Amino acid sequence: MKMFVCIKRVPDTSEADVKIDQTGKSVDSSRFSFGINDADNYAVEEAVLIKEARGGEIKFLCIGPKDSDVVIRMSLAKGGESAVRIEDPRINQKDPLQVAKVLAAAIKREQFDLVMTGCMSADDSNMSVGVALAEELGVSHAAMVKSVEILDGKIKVKRELEGGLTEVVEMSLPAVITIQTGINVPRYAPVRGIREAQKKELKVLKLEDLGLAEEEVSEAGSRVELMKLYIPVVASNAEMIQGTPDEKAEIMAVKMVKGGLL
Amino acid sequence: MGDIFVLAEHRRGELREVSLEMLAAASSVAPQLGGKITAILLGSGVNSFAEKLAGYSDKVLYVDDPLFAEYNSEKYQLALSDLISRYQPELVMVPHTTQGVDMAPALAVELKMPFVADVAGLSFEGGKLQPVRTYYQGKINADFAFKGKPPYLITVRESSFSAGDPSKQGTVEKIASPLKEDIQYRKFVEYIEAVVGDVDISQAEILVAIGRGLREEKNLSMIEDLAKSINAVIAGSRAAIDAGWLPHDRQVGTSGKNVKPKVYIAIGISGAFQHLAGMKAAKTIIAINKDPNAPIFTVADYAIVDDLFKVVPKLTEKLKELRA
Amino acid sequence: MNSEVRSFLEKHDLLGCVQCGRCTGGCPVTARTDLNVRRVIYESIDEKMLDKMSKLPDIWDCTTCSTCAVRCPKGLKPLEVLIGLREVLVESGMVQSTVRDALESVFQEGNPWKKPRATRLDWAEGLEVKIAEPGEKVENLIFVCCTVAYDPKLQDIARNLVKVLNKAGVDYGLVGDGETCCSSEVYNLGEAGLFEMMVEDNTELLKGFAADRMVTISPHCYSTFKNQYPLLKMEIVHYTHLISELLAEGKLALPKEVSKKVVFHDPCYLGKKNNVFEEPRFILKQVPGVEVLEFERKKERSLCCEGGGGKMWVETESRKERLAETRIKDARALGADVLAVACPFCILTLDDALKAKGFEEEMKVADILEILHEAAG
Repeated sequence: MKMFVCIKRVPDTSEADVKIDQTGKSVDSSRFSFGINDADNYAVEEAVLIKEARGGEIKFLCIGPKDSDVVIRMSLAKGGESAVRIEDPRINQKDPLQVAKVLAAAIKREQFDLVMTGCMSADDSNMSVGVALAEELGVSHAAMVKSVEILDGKIKVKRELEGGLTEVVEMSLPAVITIQTGINVPRYAPVRGIREAQKKELKVLKLEDLGLAEEEVSEAGSRVELMKLYIPVVASNAEMIQGTPDEKAEIMAVKMVKGGLL
Repeated sequence: MGDIFVLAEHRRGELREVSLEMLAAASSVAPQLGGKITAILLGSGVNSFAEKLAGYSDKVLYVDDPLFAEYNSEKYQLALSDLISRYQPELVMVPHTTQGVDMAPALAVELKMPFVADVAGLSFEGGKLQPVRTYYQGKINADFAFKGKPPYLITVRESSFSAGDPSKQGTVEKIASPLKEDIQYRKFVEYIEAVVGDVDISQAEILVAIGRGLREEKNLSMIEDLAKSINAVIAGSRAAIDAGWLPHDRQVGTSGKNVKPKVYIAIGISGAFQHLAGMKAAKTIIAINKDPNAPIFTVADYAIVDDLFKVVPKLTEKLKELRA
Repeated sequence: MNSEVRSFLEKHDLLGCVQCGRCTGGCPVTARTDLNVRRVIYESIDEKMLDKMSKLPDIWDCTTCSTCAVRCPKGLKPLEVLIGLREVLVESGMVQSTVRDALESVFQEGNPWKKPRATRLDWAEGLEVKIAEPGEKVENLIFVCCTVAYDPKLQDIARNLVKVLNKAGVDYGLVGDGETCCSSEVYNLGEAGLFEMMVEDNTELLKGFAADRMVTISPHCYSTFKNQYPLLKMEIVHYTHLISELLAEGKLALPKEVSKKVVFHDPCYLGKKNNVFEEPRFILKQVPGVEVLEFERKKERSLCCEGGGGKMWVETESRKERLAETRIKDARALGADVLAVACPFCILTLDDALKAKGFEEEMKVADILEILHEAAG
């Protein structure tokens, strides 16, 4: 089983103030913390579990600057043979179809059985790269996978649908699956393991190495254009409860009990 | 020219609400695009859905074929690719659901369509359609423009448009199935229902829901106290369930359960749209979060912008006092 | 027997244990859990048992309070055996997700709270603070601590310290936004590799400051820098040392009366681990109006609050009364108005316990610095 796992380093903005920078087209990330994209982390673990159960080989793929090496090394420490980081400022990372094209170019050069991505990135959340990648590679896919079973030349997966429903799908290999969070419990990569993983191959490639022309994957070559970013007006009709924490609690309690909400 | 295709979504004998939401969105932009709205329906034994969709569109094109009984990304892609190539609409709308995201990106690649995913709004700038989507869990909005030639493809976020009332009487046209035999690669096997545990949050009258803001499992006792004081059931966001604080059947949101309680108290939940979609039907929503920009406040009726660790214990205390 | 296992046995001198059970007899968490340190030591002698032992949930019950080490007649450190077993589990990667996240956060952001490195100094906003410059002479280099820097409930401790130092005209400088976790808890969670790395990086960073000594806010940072940074040749003191000096030398005036009965809770990492007992009490006695009370269990017999030893990230399943709640009840019984502490973890656990017991009206938990700030006016 030869597997590719696509990972990305993303900011954690769940508690952060997100501000738009002067370009108006990107955000000021100087005060964010960063880490591996959550869903990708589950994909890494799933690949390692499959490898532990059936043997095989894992290669990590990542588009990003050198800062991304830390999440690549952490993934390699968990179990993986090698990694490729594609660093090229010409790549338009805001277009999921172009990202898929770059990843496909890196995968196509080799034989593979299974490609995994996270089902969604925490920053852009297009939920599109994995499925577009499958089309670029000309193989079957399933998105939002919550369970994987490898069969002979096939794969059986459970997709997590709305309303707690699960859809079971069978596909022939090779295939691409996008992994939903919660499919497993990602392990910890101890620092000694990460140091050990420094010995593993991590190639850094550019567009030319992948045989891609700039216009295929650059902003200019995208079929859509990001016009501007802006902070949404929170259209809240909510009644703001004012005061100290104690006062707010009291006002709310009175509304709930005496206002007949309960 | 200027026509809009809307892919209707259905599952297990139910036409899903997002279909009507997209048709409402299509209606709002159809005048500017200067075209007609066509609902696309792929299924088996779906005449009644076709009839219903006709009330919201100018035309319904539908495939009625047992091979389309269940959603299958490869069959859907094949059928849509065929229809789009044939009719050349200006805009194609696919729901940003577990069906849509499983198919649309591949379709975009196949037909080289300008594509924007997870669209939550549509606007016009200089006469050109601009889809609006969000980044960073709703903290940033982005306006996009299409550069290439139509047809354009978007996936539309659930619950971002309100379904209208039927006001049209579109024509209904059954078209030949694009499939002669079943495809070989991807096969639908079965649906599995979620195992219902002892508590069914979708039936609860009062829900206290927790999110990542609770920080640690040990803080759950504070929430249990609050829930007990008002006979509420505890539910959670995906973060709370992933963290193992609550069992899976307590998850609210698109991948969990949709809930409609009388009162929903969201504590430390910032309000990812998957979560909002699952709870915004609640009659009264009370949100406690320290981030004033948290999206949860967009659906809240009462907003408490403060540290939950300071507010919740006091709230419990006051509720106990008042209900004594 | 391979060398690694031999070293476990040797490292912890397991054969030196006479199985007297004084460790377990004095272990405070046995009141709540089934942890039996004596038995763990006995069973760890068998190399083949280590993997299995490392999977015992019990090994995470230890708060590393050091009572066992204080009581051991043979001078062994039973708690280190438990940390060693945690290390075995960490090396396998199969730790619980909260521990994983805390450790990854230290590795990537330099703090265990998943907070951005860049926001480490946000607590000081709007405050007059001095940041030390590498190479520039400073008498007191201040190390704030991750928990104090990021937890909104604790940031006042740092603010109060800065205000007091400003008032007393002390020559000080903060390590600043380059400050990185001392990794006390990294060590206690069993991540020896990460701990080594952090010790190396921090030693390098701190050596760059031309400081006479470093003052820590947390006893955990104090104990770790003092005892586990062999190459950091800098005097390390706790803030209670510095404040005691200022008071003794008459450099810090306390004009305001604080009419409170105050009982001091000895933090394990200040007391049991480093024998600092007098400074906090001396400070409290200098505050006009304060009546200093004493717990029956005090100083080296002080009851652990269960805040250390990685317990911020590992919940003990026991539903029995938390030790911090016992402590709160004892303080209440003494008639204390204030339970004074000098450790951020103690504040968190004891304040939670205070609320759990519903004593918020009658009593409060406060860092010594809060009382001091009030008295300094």
